[in-house]
Amino acid sequence: MFDFIEPIVFALLTLGIVSAGAAVVLINRITSAALLMAFTFLCVAGMFLLLGAETIALFQVLIYVGAITVLILYGVMFTPQQPRPYGLFFQKQTPAAAVFVAAIALPVLFFAFSFPDAKEPLARGGDLVPLATSLFGDFAFPFEVASVLLLAAMVGAIVLVKRDDDGSGVDQ
Amino acid sequence: MSVGPFGIDPTIWAVLRLVIAIALAVFLAMNGALLQVYLERKVQAIIQDRYGPLHVGPFGLLQTFADALKLLSKEDVRAKLTDSAFFIAAPAIVFAPMLGSFVVLPFAKDWTAIDLNVGLLYLTTLGSMTVLGIVIAGWASNNKYSLIGGLRSAGQLISYEVPQILALVTVVLVAGSLSLVRITEAQQGPFVNVLVLPLAFLVYLISALAETNRAPFDLPEAESELVAGFLTEYSGMRWGVFFLAEYGEVTIVSSIMTTLWFGGWQGPGVDAVPVLGILWFTLKTYVFVLVFMWIRATLPRLRIDQLMGFCWKVLIPVALFNIMVTSTLLLAFPGTLWPIAIVNWVGVVALVLGLPALQRRRLHRFRDRVGAARGVAAS
Amino acid sequence: MIPLGAYLTVSAALFFIGMAGVLMRRNAVVILMCVELMLNAANLALVAFSRRLGSVDQRGSVFVTFVFVIAAAEVAVGLAIVLSAYRNRPTVDVDELRAMKG
Repeated sequence: MFDFIEPIVFALLTLGIVSAGAAVVLINRITSAALLMAFTFLCVAGMFLLLGAETIALFQVLIYVGAITVLILYGVMFTPQQPRPYGLFFQKQTPAAAVFVAAIALPVLFFAFSFPDAKEPLARGGDLVPLATSLFGDFAFPFEVASVLLLAAMVGAIVLVKRDDDGSGVDQ
Repeated sequence: MSVGPFGIDPTIWAVLRLVIAIALAVFLAMNGALLQVYLERKVQAIIQDRYGPLHVGPFGLLQTFADALKLLSKEDVRAKLTDSAFFIAAPAIVFAPMLGSFVVLPFAKDWTAIDLNVGLLYLTTLGSMTVLGIVIAGWASNNKYSLIGGLRSAGQLISYEVPQILALVTVVLVAGSLSLVRITEAQQGPFVNVLVLPLAFLVYLISALAETNRAPFDLPEAESELVAGFLTEYSGMRWGVFFLAEYGEVTIVSSIMTTLWFGGWQGPGVDAVPVLGILWFTLKTYVFVLVFMWIRATLPRLRIDQLMGFCWKVLIPVALFNIMVTSTLLLAFPGTLWPIAIVNWVGVVALVLGLPALQRRRLHRFRDRVGAARGVAAS
Repeated sequence: MIPLGAYLTVSAALFFIGMAGVLMRRNAVVILMCVELMLNAANLALVAFSRRLGSVDQRGSVFVTFVFVIAAAEVAVGLAIVLSAYRNRPTVDVDELRAMKG
């Protein structure tokens, strides 16, 4: 009886993703662009929920909206610049670009819809246990490598932004 | 999905339950915040050997209403160059996740609005979204001090999320599920998790104090620091919303602590009358809220580098060590929780006795160094 | 049930929008944001395939977890590089940061 809800939610989420994504690219003010990017992440998390992947949706919000958006906002705030009127680079070539995009869009659409679809969707939720079993079972080694990668990234980022003067912090 | 009362269609019953849960959440958050405003002033007054609110209503009980009326009637002072959309949105971004957290709390047996099987992950996710609101609040005030306060607060919040999540992971290891209802049910009777995992409880208590910006970690919003940090430009009800969000967050964190470590809705009499669980849950939650207020009235504020150092150098290694030891012992001695309990209690004693000893040693060395420098300079 | 192709189309659209942003914008931080959009598009496609055509053990979602990790690491290091560059010359315009000297 309530089957009409799913396509409506999908349409709304698609509208959110596409318009917020386009706004990230087109808006001049960076802080607004960063928040619209966070909104895009939320809409993608909604898509994950529609697909029934609860855990991945929560991870998406936790990592992207909770951490990466804050990092980008830090980056924006520590690099203040005069907002310049930007000119789109390809202004002269916009008609050619539009034709090109349309030409690519048709094969992509055709390709996207050519996959065989499952007869009925997987049960909603219940993706935590298989995910954990695979992650810590079959993929234990990539998991460890990912941890080392994160450690390296953390140390590298700290070293990169360290100031070269020897003003140390207050001694405790 | 279950059929609702009077045989309502299951989908409609699910939506209705959600609506009731949202209404209850708003009601609880608002009333809880009102109660806590009064409690905070009274508890601080009692600890500081004075009376607290006395005049408005019996025992000053209506003081909160007077405060709320004052806040609502204040002029909405806004600096001209603040970024209006962000300025207005920031309190909402901080407030909304707090409201959303109420729907997964298990108030009594079968009285959870939505029993998510990733309930704890959901609560953590909502906790991490408030950071965004605070950064935006600091930015939108167009004020150097607000910006610094907002960024400092965001740094503190994201730092203390790590030991918080690590402490929760320890409980999940022992209970075997992320669902709050199942964690409550895994604690049978008087053998609640705090007897088995006190170290994780301590780590979570301290991280929760920092996550909710409560003293002694309230540097970003203290009135004497940076002119109240990111809250500087907010007046009247906008500030009230931040305030409500903080008390709501305190309630959520206390509820998580009762559910995970103290048995949630369990207590004498719940087998016979399940609704009694709500009473026990609320009582246990408010015990923790009072502990938070007690800590606020007692301890001095930490400096930003002190609290960051404490997080990264003490809490995170302790929490990681706890996870490692707990999982090893769970695999080595399956079926019994005694080894984990013993190791945890030893760890608690070591932490409680060891940290002050380490600090004392550091203080003596610092004093020796300063004395030597001063001696050299004097001679 | 929403057809799989619909999710893939949304993923492709988001990817192209992100790519357009990387190519068009001059601010380094905005370029990083558009790279995140592209990574999200890839995640969406992975999860769509994993839930519709994958087996019960959710291997696509495991890959998505790794993409989360890599995206976070990349943003951290990328922003560190941008901040260091900003310290040398107070600009994050990639046109002006082009020369390796100075």
